[in-house]
Amino acid sequence: MVCSIYHTATDLSMKKYTLKKPKGELHLVSPARFRIDYKNELNPAQYAAVTSVNGPHLIVAGAGTGKTRTIVYRVAYLVELGVKPEHILLLTFTRKASQEMLRRAAVLLDYRCEKVSGGTFHSFANSTLRKHANLLGYERSFTILDQGDAEDVVNLIRTRLKLDTRERRFPKKETLYDLYSRSINTVTPVSNLLSIDYPHYRELEEDIAKVHTVYDEYKKSHNLMDYDDLLVNLMRLLQQHEPVRAELSNRYKYIMVDEFQDTNKLQAEIVRLLAYKHTNVMVVGDDSQSIYSFRGATIRNILDFPEQFPDCKIITLEENYRSTQAILNVANEILKRALD
Amino acid sequence: MRHKYTKVLYTHKSEGSLPQLIIAENENSQSKFVVQKILELREEGVPLEDIAVLFRSSFLSFDLEIELAKANIPFLKFGGFKFIETAHVKDMIAYLRVLENPRDVVAWNRILLLIDGVGPRTAEKIIDDILHRRAERPSSPFWEQYNSYTANVKELFEVMKSIASEKYPPAEKASRITTYYHPMFKKRYDDYTKRKKDLEMFEQIAARYSDVGTLLADLALEPPNESIADVTPPGIDDEYLTLSTIHSAKGLEWNSVFLIYALDGRFPTSRAVNDLDEMEEERRLMYVACTRAKEHLFITYPINVYDRETGTILTKPSRFLEGLDEKLLEPWVIGEE
Repeated sequence: MVCSIYHTATDLSMKKYTLKKPKGELHLVSPARFRIDYKNELNPAQYAAVTSVNGPHLIVAGAGTGKTRTIVYRVAYLVELGVKPEHILLLTFTRKASQEMLRRAAVLLDYRCEKVSGGTFHSFANSTLRKHANLLGYERSFTILDQGDAEDVVNLIRTRLKLDTRERRFPKKETLYDLYSRSINTVTPVSNLLSIDYPHYRELEEDIAKVHTVYDEYKKSHNLMDYDDLLVNLMRLLQQHEPVRAELSNRYKYIMVDEFQDTNKLQAEIVRLLAYKHTNVMVVGDDSQSIYSFRGATIRNILDFPEQFPDCKIITLEENYRSTQAILNVANEILKRALD
Repeated sequence: MRHKYTKVLYTHKSEGSLPQLIIAENENSQSKFVVQKILELREEGVPLEDIAVLFRSSFLSFDLEIELAKANIPFLKFGGFKFIETAHVKDMIAYLRVLENPRDVVAWNRILLLIDGVGPRTAEKIIDDILHRRAERPSSPFWEQYNSYTANVKELFEVMKSIASEKYPPAEKASRITTYYHPMFKKRYDDYTKRKKDLEMFEQIAARYSDVGTLLADLALEPPNESIADVTPPGIDDEYLTLSTIHSAKGLEWNSVFLIYALDGRFPTSRAVNDLDEMEEERRLMYVACTRAKEHLFITYPINVYDRETGTILTKPSRFLEGLDEKLLEPWVIGEE
């Protein structure tokens, strides 16, 4: 008896146990116990994307390659791994898209997936700003101006300032609003846009800037935001209020962005700010499908992502589940002839 | 600097029939061909929901819309005017906006100008009044002390007062507002019977919400896609064909896809030809259009189209397709029997 106790003690003393800081790898639930057979239900590239957890990732998903499926499975995977759904943020191009993805993830795994925060950049900005509006000098009950309303306000200011005279033509409300909006979304000074698109209005630069300033003041004093304000104000909130930035970055530990090829510079900056504590960002998109530059989207976001997040891992999805090979051949050929 | 991520799509599905590039001698023959082909596909068992006609710009489908109506093919068009952008829906929203944010001058202006006898000057005076009182006593509701106004204006304030309480759900507020708004609505729009469906739809949408703030934010951020007044043929529950701009077709797929007006000068548009970046974006649009199709892809273009912008006659297929190997994209000409 004594002898055996003695032996066990020696065995223990031979094995050293030391305490280490956790590396952030989350295997709270062992993958062996997962309910979904990820490896069998996904192709190898999809599987690699779905099971990538920490750090920045870029998923280049060609048309029809099961991009939605991949996002749905990744949400389920994170939740199975033990990540709290509230700690996942899924940003999509339309709100319907995120609702649909989370619903599918819930069917795949369970109800927890519906608790993931999902929406568009604008709807996410809206709900965040409702909570923190006072920090930016707004009331929580601010209302949102659509494009038509915004143009009307610009027109009102233009008329009030008496800038349009018989002797001098002044840009119309649509032109002004387009200038302001593009300037914000592309982070380009109005004066640059003027020289490119409306060189004949260049000498009116000062007055055009004046209308812009008054327009901004007007919105603020009437508790109004246009679409661009939602993004700009969210960005300011994150930049200027460290506690809010920290709170949000701690809450959204895993960020996923769909259709990254159609995001604009502000949106990319918002992603960067939200992820500053952990850089757990997975962006999904297809540079070949970037088609929204007229709304300020820039293909550079997806192309420059690896420079923005230097240790980023790139995974490319190329197996198409939608079209016949005959159709894909034409599509491939169209791309192949693009300028390099 | 990186220019693109190279990828080559492949599939384990069958080879399938070759996509076709079809020349039509003019716009109307293009439309008639598409209509006929759609009817054939339907005969073969492809339901209308699984067929889409795509185009570069919204106006390119006008002629086709007429032909579809003649053939009694119901369709929904995406990428045109949105529900929320129609004047009558904006009116409805303005009432609710004022309730939510009494400083919303834009909405005030809209609903005051709807009232008989209120012009821009009167509206401005009333708005100044409201803002002034609000600045003095922020906690008192805006509908108090409106006695100095004319009967018409008073009525608006009374309606607002009667529905202001949070105990009324948004649907009830919307319904009360519809009743009040109806006479003005009838007077303002000749086609009010058609537009009326939008107001009903608005009430239905409102019924899904429990507070006005969320309803308004959702409507502004994610408006329902189409106005009923803009949608042609029957009940929207029935089978329908999709007409869509390529932009609005993003992420979607159909068994059979028609791409019309693949005509150089229309697609790419002649406005884009001088800008390399815009040109590459047009190319990506073509890629997006083609990759929407699962089984059948028909690309059509009419010739002899006059282009006002450049003063030339457009006759060539889109430069993104021109010269493509005939073994990839089969050329056809529409013949008449």
